[in-house]
Amino acid sequence: MANVTVKLFGVLRMGTHLAKETVDIEKVEDLFVSLNKRVDEVYAENKKADPTLEKPEPLAFKHTVIFVNGEPCKNKNRALRDGDEIWLLSPASGG
Amino acid sequence: MTNLKGYMGRVLFIDLTKRSFEEFPWTDADRKRTLGGKIMAGDILLKHITPTMKAFDEDNWLVITTGPLTGTGCPNTSRFNISTISPLTNIVTSSNCGGDFGLTLKRAGYDAAIITGRSETPLHVHITQDNVEFFDASDLWGLTTGEAQEHEQLKKYPGRLVIGPAGEHKVLYACVFSNERTAGRGGVGAVFGDKKLKAVTAFGTKLPEIYDEESLRALNKKWNNILRNHPLTGRQLPALGSAGLVAPMQAHSILATKNFSAGRFDNFEMVSGEELAENHMVSNGACTTCVIRCARRCMVDGKIVKGPELETLGLFGPNILNDDIDKIIQWNYELDELGMDSISCAGSVAFAMELAEKGVHDFGVHFGEIDNISQMFRAIAYREGEGDYIADGTKRMSDRFGGKEYAINAKGMELAAYEPRHAVGHGLGYATANRGGCHLNAGYLVVLEGLGLDVDSLTHHGKAALAIMLQNLMEAVSACGSCMFTSYAVFPGFLVDKPNWFVTKAILAVFPYVGPVVNLLSHFTKVAQIPLPLLPHIKAIHCATGMHTTMASMLTWGARGYNTERIANVILGQKADADQLPKRLTDELQDPNNPRTKVPLEKMKKVYNRGRGWKQGIPTYHRLKTLGIILDKKYYDEAVARAMRKD
Repeated sequence: MANVTVKLFGVLRMGTHLAKETVDIEKVEDLFVSLNKRVDEVYAENKKADPTLEKPEPLAFKHTVIFVNGEPCKNKNRALRDGDEIWLLSPASGG
Repeated sequence: MTNLKGYMGRVLFIDLTKRSFEEFPWTDADRKRTLGGKIMAGDILLKHITPTMKAFDEDNWLVITTGPLTGTGCPNTSRFNISTISPLTNIVTSSNCGGDFGLTLKRAGYDAAIITGRSETPLHVHITQDNVEFFDASDLWGLTTGEAQEHEQLKKYPGRLVIGPAGEHKVLYACVFSNERTAGRGGVGAVFGDKKLKAVTAFGTKLPEIYDEESLRALNKKWNNILRNHPLTGRQLPALGSAGLVAPMQAHSILATKNFSAGRFDNFEMVSGEELAENHMVSNGACTTCVIRCARRCMVDGKIVKGPELETLGLFGPNILNDDIDKIIQWNYELDELGMDSISCAGSVAFAMELAEKGVHDFGVHFGEIDNISQMFRAIAYREGEGDYIADGTKRMSDRFGGKEYAINAKGMELAAYEPRHAVGHGLGYATANRGGCHLNAGYLVVLEGLGLDVDSLTHHGKAALAIMLQNLMEAVSACGSCMFTSYAVFPGFLVDKPNWFVTKAILAVFPYVGPVVNLLSHFTKVAQIPLPLLPHIKAIHCATGMHTTMASMLTWGARGYNTERIANVILGQKADADQLPKRLTDELQDPNNPRTKVPLEKMKKVYNRGRGWKQGIPTYHRLKTLGIILDKKYYDEAVARAMRKD
């Protein structure tokens, strides 16, 4: 197990209300199981304050742009090490 | 008058010197040829300009144009355009704005207004259905853009154009405001100031007739749904605005940092869209008719005002080594009130900081020091002390002090916040954009190169063809009167929404090899006789005006617009091979360990010029003719000879 920091950005963060988490996982794919548990917990807490809150879509590898230690990661089986920092992003545009 | 619907059928010509007005001849053939907006304005300017004409000449025209969709009820179509000779670049600039002036100009019965001449005293021009009035603007002169719009003389009119102190003092990147929205780039505000034109207002009650109202209403319903459900226009832009790009730009190493010497900034999270949305934003804002609502509303000095967009956050954040977002929000407001383009101002300030750091000249501003930035804004806007140099932009500063290789501009216009050494196609776009270092006029390839889609951002393959295609497409979308952001919905939602899906990966892997096909479409635009549901502008133009419109029409209008502006620039003195970037971006590696991290500009330009039918950045006479841009051959040859001459 590696202890890694995960930061969420863009609509992933706005939708889940998760900004930064620390999780113990082995590989990138495991991240989504851990994070989705947290998403459910945070949603349950927030729902108490705002009963109209809609449940966010679960986070999934397919829908996410992933960077590990500043490098793009497209391999869900990539092994992680203690201290790794993972960024989860959503596609964006603007001008 | 016009037999086409969607248009008002009249173009107004105003002479400030004579304080007179008349109708400018503009036929349905002209409308069909140029559509509207910046393409129409470019065509009008091309026929007017002379090789010796300069931005601050009395007979430099300000051409304010709307599009055929403006005022038709289509989503995101309140845009209007101002084209003129830019004092910043000495070539044509076109500056697009989402304020209410375009809608009210149409309600006054005009598709466009051309303004020439120069007043001796400050002037406010008021346009109505039957008249043009010339009011003294002495009481407005000296006021900020907000103060002027709130003044008794102007606030009763819904459609206003005003300049601030920067325009009055002819800062070369002064802008024009309509409500809180800006015709920001190229110094159109300085041309207003030179003409002593403080304000233009319009009022009327007319509406454009619609060719097929029922179909347009049905289309608008669908179009609204497309925009509301698309991952970019329906989720990211409303939630985070363009500021939401800060984090992806950091990830992809394209967040301009320390005057474009790097693409990442350690403290990026402190100036990110997430920080802005979570801790500073009061509400969303929007241009009239907009369903995307990307604007941020923030508090400054107890007032709710327009918040910063990506460019201001990036260029007054990482690019000057500043991580204080409260300051950026405050500066954004101050720049708006003074009436200055935040992109060019920030680029010029960052360049001044680097010149100071290198010991060339100390302007009083330094990387990471932010306490005196507000004072510097005032000094720039009023052209006082060192601010007078910075008011002239990076090109003139480098002419005077040196440092051309890190004066971050293209054709004299400062680059937007995207560092192109990690998005090389976007670099090609910056270099080839007609108005200079503009990300949108560039074709916004960065949306493909990592931000929206994940096409290899370091390869040159396919980038020239994609740049041409996107430049043409965005030119046409802009000419409709539409917000450019509506064109992002052209990318199928699943490609954007599922970046790690094997189908998406397979499709994107093909992108670098689509060059020949895309080139064919761009060059022989009439091949694409197809509708494109994700680009509803095509059907909307037909429903609004009655003109038969296909993808081919859009590409032809776009190519015509791009070539019109380009040959106008050549006539105005643009040299051959003027499509350049500062050496920092083409010769220095962003990552010393990765030889691909610089813009392979010459390689891409070869393909680009061939695809455009240009030689050394100049359209051939044949290419112009095939696009219906007719010039006297001798006049053309003389302009090309001047462009080829080495001075």
